[in-house]
Amino acid sequence: MALTQVSSNKCAGGFQKVFEHESTELKCKMKFAVYLPPKAETDKCPVMYWLSGLTCTEQNFITKSGSQLAAAEHGIIIVAPDTSPRGCGIEGEDENWDFGTGAGFYVNSTQDPWKTNYRMYAYVTEELPKLINANFPTDPDRMSVSGHSMGGHGALICALKNPGKYKAVSAFAPICNPMQCPWGQKAFAGYLGSDRSTWEAYDATVLAASYSGPQLDILIDQGQDDQFLSASQLLPDNLIAVCSEKKIPVVFRLQPGYDHSYFFIYSFIGDHIKHHAKYLNA
Amino acid sequence: MDLYEIRGGRLDVIAEEGELSRESATMETFNVAADSGGRTARDVSTFQRFSVGTNESLRFEPCEDSTPSPTGAEDGCDDDVFKEGNDESEIISIRNRLQGKVVEMENFAGHLEEIFLTVEENFGRQEQHLEQHYNDVLQTLSQRYDERSAGLEEEKKSKLEALYNQLLDCGRALDSSKELIETAQEIYRSQDKRLFLKTVMPTIKRIEEYAKEDVDLTLATRLEFNTPLGDLSDVKTMMDSINVVPAPSAPVINPQMPNSATQTSLRVCWSLFSDDTVEYYELYYRPVLEDTPADSTCAPHESKVKVKETHCTVTDLLPNAQYELWVTATNTTGISPASEKALYMTVPSPPVIKQRECTSCPEAALIRWESGNTNPVDSYTVELSEMGTDGTGSGITESIVAVPTCQCLIQLQAGRRYLISVRAVNIGGPSVRSGDTTVSTTGTFFHLLEDTAHPCLSISEDGFTIFYGDEELPISAMALDDNTFFTRCVAVLGDLIPVRGRHYWEVEVDDGTEFRIGVAYEDTERNSYLGANSTSWCMRHILSPSRHKYEFLHNGWSPDLRITVNPVRIGLALDYDRGTLSFFNVNLEQHLHTFHCHFQNYVQPCFSLDNPGALTVHNGIEAPEYAFI
Repeated sequence: MALTQVSSNKCAGGFQKVFEHESTELKCKMKFAVYLPPKAETDKCPVMYWLSGLTCTEQNFITKSGSQLAAAEHGIIIVAPDTSPRGCGIEGEDENWDFGTGAGFYVNSTQDPWKTNYRMYAYVTEELPKLINANFPTDPDRMSVSGHSMGGHGALICALKNPGKYKAVSAFAPICNPMQCPWGQKAFAGYLGSDRSTWEAYDATVLAASYSGPQLDILIDQGQDDQFLSASQLLPDNLIAVCSEKKIPVVFRLQPGYDHSYFFIYSFIGDHIKHHAKYLNA
Repeated sequence: MDLYEIRGGRLDVIAEEGELSRESATMETFNVAADSGGRTARDVSTFQRFSVGTNESLRFEPCEDSTPSPTGAEDGCDDDVFKEGNDESEIISIRNRLQGKVVEMENFAGHLEEIFLTVEENFGRQEQHLEQHYNDVLQTLSQRYDERSAGLEEEKKSKLEALYNQLLDCGRALDSSKELIETAQEIYRSQDKRLFLKTVMPTIKRIEEYAKEDVDLTLATRLEFNTPLGDLSDVKTMMDSINVVPAPSAPVINPQMPNSATQTSLRVCWSLFSDDTVEYYELYYRPVLEDTPADSTCAPHESKVKVKETHCTVTDLLPNAQYELWVTATNTTGISPASEKALYMTVPSPPVIKQRECTSCPEAALIRWESGNTNPVDSYTVELSEMGTDGTGSGITESIVAVPTCQCLIQLQAGRRYLISVRAVNIGGPSVRSGDTTVSTTGTFFHLLEDTAHPCLSISEDGFTIFYGDEELPISAMALDDNTFFTRCVAVLGDLIPVRGRHYWEVEVDDGTEFRIGVAYEDTERNSYLGANSTSWCMRHILSPSRHKYEFLHNGWSPDLRITVNPVRIGLALDYDRGTLSFFNVNLEQHLHTFHCHFQNYVQPCFSLDNPGALTVHNGIEAPEYAFI
């Protein structure tokens, strides 16, 4: 569980750091980014886990989202892991941008040849939090999760599958119903096999329909000019319909003119961190 | 009885302490005289305070702090004590009593000394007064004498001059007749007959001529002197007045004293010159009406009170009104001139706090009231006291004075309860307190501005629930459109306190009610829909056949937003400093939307119903922590 610091930069009064470690779940070296707000020098701080989207590494969020100012203001540690195992030497892992490397989809794979390494769900919900709590001034009882696109899907399923574990959840342009979209179907078929009933455990819309647990408050931002929205990869309406029926509180904001990029995330990350702060600092 | 009668004869003067004390003095003295009979030593110990009010009057009454006269029973007791004589403690007590008596007698001697001094002084003054008076009389007489003697001298001189002139005339006539006689004799003695004959004829003619002249030998002037009777009536009056009390001079009326007036009464004081003797005063008063010209014949009739004291409380007056007062003094000789006219003012009626127009927030309260007076008052005083946890006031803790208008913004501390009341003030003083209003600084509290309500909107009795029935719009209501109330949007504004702080209130709605809630500038267009313009910001609920739609409207534009759980209790958090207006689903503590706008002016909460239904405003509640993250 040894951590190797890869980089450390002062940022917004605190520090933006990147570490590398040997993952037991993923059986490879993994990098993750951690932002330590000024408050972390003296106090234990809550942690927000940020799950990135397809093709991303731990770098995209920390260099493009501008999250650090808001995190410093609210005293929140932000942990941003990589999006998949890397360099595992699995045949075909680098062939597609939407499957394999950079596209772990936050599931525990049950299929060869992926099942040994591609256990991103276990990594982000179990291994990583333990690692973080052991090495940083965190309050283990106060954690939340957010993400973008595939990471938005990851954030939603993490929250829906672990009632009470995450104090808050939000997402930018999440893949809301992966079973019904091309990206999801491709990934789930590859990682989980052809039995669609096993997919349901990782589909936010299906999970929401059977959710029972503490009250959630889900904030979702979606760019109206997002090409993947119009390509029916994201399907937020399906999730909203289920949540409306199940009375799961969601505020879904369709932001006119915005696309799927980090420019969009940059524009609204402040609202999301405030949303997390409301529950993390309550 | 003798004492009473003697005193009764002298007591015909002003008793400053009033009729009552005089009566009591009379009573007590009478009792003493009757009960104690010949025990003169005891009687003396009934101290009388003598006070000399004027030159000629002596007044006495029992000294209030003196020991009351011992009764006969006590005297008997004293005798017994002397008979036994051995008991030391008895002796001590007697000694103490005797010492007491000695002190009392010393006091009495002191009083007597004072009285002697006063008598001496008064005698001196009286003597001086008489001397002055006699001097005046003598001076008048000597002046008369001088005048008269000068007149006689003048007359004598003119008479003598006339006589002298007559004497001269006589002399001259004598001379000329003598000369004529001599001339005649000379001619008669002449020897020359021719010459005689020549001259005799003219001479005879001259003599004849002379004889014709008639010499006036009557006295040209009267021998009597013309002496008119001297008018000494004024001197007589002066002499008479020496023994008569002079009529008093005009009393001096005092200006109004603080706290001497009430809503309907005035306490007026005046003073007299110390030499004056006054039997009674007459106080005249009449209201000063501003809109009546000074020379108007319809000036209000003056009222009159007769009093013996130098003060009087005039009652049954109008509140907050100016009165003109003057006073005359009267004694047996006559009435003094009137004093100067003094202006007094009754205090105003208490203001009436307009409960429905009071509004508050955790930092302040805005209290509004009605003057309670038809004519203007000088200012108002707002008094506030913090209420204890048991609901009682803890006395006045703060007053805000010189409030010029009928409203006052008061800075308060959050999370307390205050009792607030108002007084109206004019130069006569403050009115009694208005009724209390209770202000709780837990949260922001306001009433609805019913004037702004659309005619179709009705408001519950408690003022916090609004209803939109589906009855037809009364045409008469639409006819008088003075841009006060909403004419298109079935809306009403709230009366939010003008304090640029943080405000929080909640709205309870039905799932099936279409509504708009938010804030608007006070002058937002009344013929426009809330949110459709740049002067209002609101959350709108629309019922479509398929779903509930929520909009957050400003300037006619709303973000596209989906809310999965319909809020039925909505929290609104307004933060002027940050320039935000946020909406929450209170039951879920869910943030719904935040407007960002630096409100240039004060905003008012606004509420409207887009379809028939009801909506209830909850305010005066503490803002939840999440409302202002």
